[in-house]
Amino acid sequence: MRSLAELLKPLASLRLSVVLFALSMFLILAGTLAQTSSGVWTVVDEYFRSLVVAIPVQIFVPEKVARVPGVLPFPGGLTLGVLLFVNLLAAHAVRFKLSWKRSGMIVTHAGVLLLLVGEFVTGAFAREGNMSIREGGSSNFIEDTRSAELAVVDPNDPGEDRVTVVPASMLADAGADLGGDGVLPFTVTVLEWMPNSRIVGPMQASPAQRARATVGAGLEMAAVPAPPANGVDGATTDFPSAYIQIKRRGEVLGDYLVSTWLNTAQPVVVDGRRYDIALRFERHYKPYSLTLVDFRHDRFVGTETARNFSSLVRLRDEGASVDREVLISMNNPLRHAGETFYQASFSPDERGTVLQVVRNPGWLLPYISCTMVTIGMLVHFGVRFAGSVRRKVA
Amino acid sequence: MRRASLWFPLLVALVALAALGRSLARTTAPTSGSMPLDRIGLLPVSAGGRTKPLDTFARNTLLRLSGRQTYEADSGQGPAIEWLLELWTNPERSAGRRVFRIDHPDVRSLVGATDEKRTRFSWSELSPQFTEIVRQAELASAVERKRQDPFQRQITDLYGKLAEYAEVRALRTPYAIAPLAPGEQWAPLVAADPRGMDGPRVADTESARALQSILVSYARGDAESCRAQVDAYLSAIDTRIVASDAAARPRGLGFEVAMSRFEPFYQSAALYLGAFLLACFGLLAGPISPDRWKPAFLRSALGLIAIAFVVHTVGLAGRIYLQGRPPVTNLYSSAVFIGWACVPVALLGEWFSRIGVLTIATSLIGFATLVVAHNLSASGDTMEMMQAVLDSNFWLATHVVVVTIGYSATFLAGFIAVIYALGGVTTRLLSGEPMKALPKMIYGVICFATVASFVGTVLGGIWADQSWGRFWGWDPKENGAALIVLWNLMILHARWGGMIRERGTAALAIAGNIVTAWSWFGTNMLGVGLHSYGFMDSAVFALAAFCVAQLVLVAVALVPAARWRSAA
Repeated sequence: MRSLAELLKPLASLRLSVVLFALSMFLILAGTLAQTSSGVWTVVDEYFRSLVVAIPVQIFVPEKVARVPGVLPFPGGLTLGVLLFVNLLAAHAVRFKLSWKRSGMIVTHAGVLLLLVGEFVTGAFAREGNMSIREGGSSNFIEDTRSAELAVVDPNDPGEDRVTVVPASMLADAGADLGGDGVLPFTVTVLEWMPNSRIVGPMQASPAQRARATVGAGLEMAAVPAPPANGVDGATTDFPSAYIQIKRRGEVLGDYLVSTWLNTAQPVVVDGRRYDIALRFERHYKPYSLTLVDFRHDRFVGTETARNFSSLVRLRDEGASVDREVLISMNNPLRHAGETFYQASFSPDERGTVLQVVRNPGWLLPYISCTMVTIGMLVHFGVRFAGSVRRKVA
Repeated sequence: MRRASLWFPLLVALVALAALGRSLARTTAPTSGSMPLDRIGLLPVSAGGRTKPLDTFARNTLLRLSGRQTYEADSGQGPAIEWLLELWTNPERSAGRRVFRIDHPDVRSLVGATDEKRTRFSWSELSPQFTEIVRQAELASAVERKRQDPFQRQITDLYGKLAEYAEVRALRTPYAIAPLAPGEQWAPLVAADPRGMDGPRVADTESARALQSILVSYARGDAESCRAQVDAYLSAIDTRIVASDAAARPRGLGFEVAMSRFEPFYQSAALYLGAFLLACFGLLAGPISPDRWKPAFLRSALGLIAIAFVVHTVGLAGRIYLQGRPPVTNLYSSAVFIGWACVPVALLGEWFSRIGVLTIATSLIGFATLVVAHNLSASGDTMEMMQAVLDSNFWLATHVVVVTIGYSATFLAGFIAVIYALGGVTTRLLSGEPMKALPKMIYGVICFATVASFVGTVLGGIWADQSWGRFWGWDPKENGAALIVLWNLMILHARWGGMIRERGTAALAIAGNIVTAWSWFGTNMLGVGLHSYGFMDSAVFALAAFCVAQLVLVAVALVPAARWRSAA
């Protein structure tokens, strides 16, 4: 066993902890500064949930002051988190000794380990999405606003719609021909893919912009690329758009504008059969549905400041024999079937609600770990403080 | 004369109390002049979502327009309420009052300013340039706020001020007509004006009639009927106002007006400053008169701090009472609270160590945080209503208060370290006991700061999980809090590992000031500070200057022990 302890010793050193703290702080600082130019989710994936990250030096210098090229390779959050985990575990393995004086630290550090595990579980398994419902309407799917898909709906079967989806990752490849293998009734060629976009309305779009599409909604309006939504502005959602060309056996049926900004699908007629195409956020269907009974948005007298938002919804889940009304409001989420529904936003006309839906199997871990850390620290410092007061009084 | 350490502190305390008493007396005395301004100031109005006295509305409006709460009257400075009433009853005359503050040289030349020094302009002076101001503001509005250059920002601000002035002059704001019968709503005065352009009429409600007659009497200069009408209206309000909930019910209007006039935070800032000077004298007197004048000055300083702390507490308690909320609700109140929380902790340290330097730290922290708070209050109502997601007294009371205490403690540790390094390197004043006690204190405060900032940050995570299902979202404010926790942890672990000792701890604690300042303010400036002309922005400049100063102090702390003039 002695050799194991010898092996663990360098891993258990406080020097390593201090270095890891310093590296983590630098990473967090860089990850915060990076949010002025990229989206918060991009940053989270690139900086905090990665093994290594290439930090552009530019983020430390305002662009107006100087343009600085180059990147700084740096360990990512995953690497640092695992190292901290190992360091802490090794430290306790090497120096473990149960005493009243050390008990606080042991509990604290166990809590910290759990906190790291919790963040890992969240990063790996948590899913977030939105559910938008109009007043009087119902919804049984959750949209993942972080990824889009091109949906091709075949409404010809009277029983149910047949839906085929092409994920955004395949669309991002401009020039690619999709669906040629018979999965789709036609082939789709991506002319331009915009990860985030703005819509230029009928009055503003120039003839050249409108000429980019030959059929459908793109005749009236145009999409132009936009920078990624960045966390500092408070915007978190990218709205992708694309110009696509639809062909059938080499014959061009038309150039379409498809966009997550558009609310309705566009028809494509192939051999006399109608299909509907839409670029939409990825949908996950659920065995239950929510109906929006009433959305309320109260303001303070004479101002635009929101005082309260709330959605009165009816939750129906036949499988679980649930059919009841629930009021979802700020700080009062609905938890059902492993998912939690939070009041997030609402439609501009205030007749529809947007609920944030989160599934996080690790949601309880931070609560437990933080309780442990807090109690542990209070015990640890309490014991020491009591000692010093005793010395002072004596 | 040997009793100087007794009579001098008493004398100082008496003088301070007398000065406070005088301000207090002035607070309750009726305003000068014949018109019952103090009574009119009590009229309740609803603005920014809060029911407040008209006096507060007038002060906040004038503060936003001109950067202060008084205006240039015919003779000397006049109170805000008088300015507002003149604007309503005699708009032509009021248009000549210089209440629009303009600082940027290009904006000044745009409005045709010829006087080099004057920074305040009147509506009449600006009116010939309205078309140009509007055109420039429209040009600027095409640029996102944080990408605007200083000129664009200032012209946008000026446009906003003119619009606000016009709104107030047109009686569209505040909502002054109170609901006195069931079914009535708060309404702006314009709703009672038959010539008013829009909105439903409430001309025939009791409160609309009462307000009209009050204004008419005021315009005529008929002080007696004005006073009688105000009194009658106020008693009607007292008994019959219709309030849908607690927030809409007028609450402590008289108390709020008294607070605005007494300015408890201004008073306590002055007292902290006095204490700071006395404590400095005390330390300087140490080598000359260690038994007589040193304790005399230090005790007087402690006395002043005690008085200042009481006033500070009264101000804070007053805000809690008026808002019905925990003490920290916005950046302004966080500054007030940080100072308030530091003072007793520092005094506790002083009780443990009895070395005097902490008296300096305490008074300076009290003074500095209140000055910061004052500079944060320029946007108007410091008791504004909160966005829906923040509207939770439980989380404000737990997360926000605890995390603010954590920030305070980290600052305090850095502050003590500054005194330790600066005093130890450059003077002999800290020789002996202080050189031993101060490092212990820094360490103790860091331990406390670690616990408080961790617990506060975690509570914030739990709140976030409750509100939007994300315990941790890596957003700038959260990251700022995490940095503070990690910084404190790093100091503690480095110390436990024997990597640093007294000087190292002090140096890191001083650098901690940068971390705290960045987390407290810097994250709010991110968009402004790093993207555009951030360095032109005065707040960013102040923050940068503060950070540079801390770096210099870190260098001071790192001077080799042999070169320190004080020795343990």
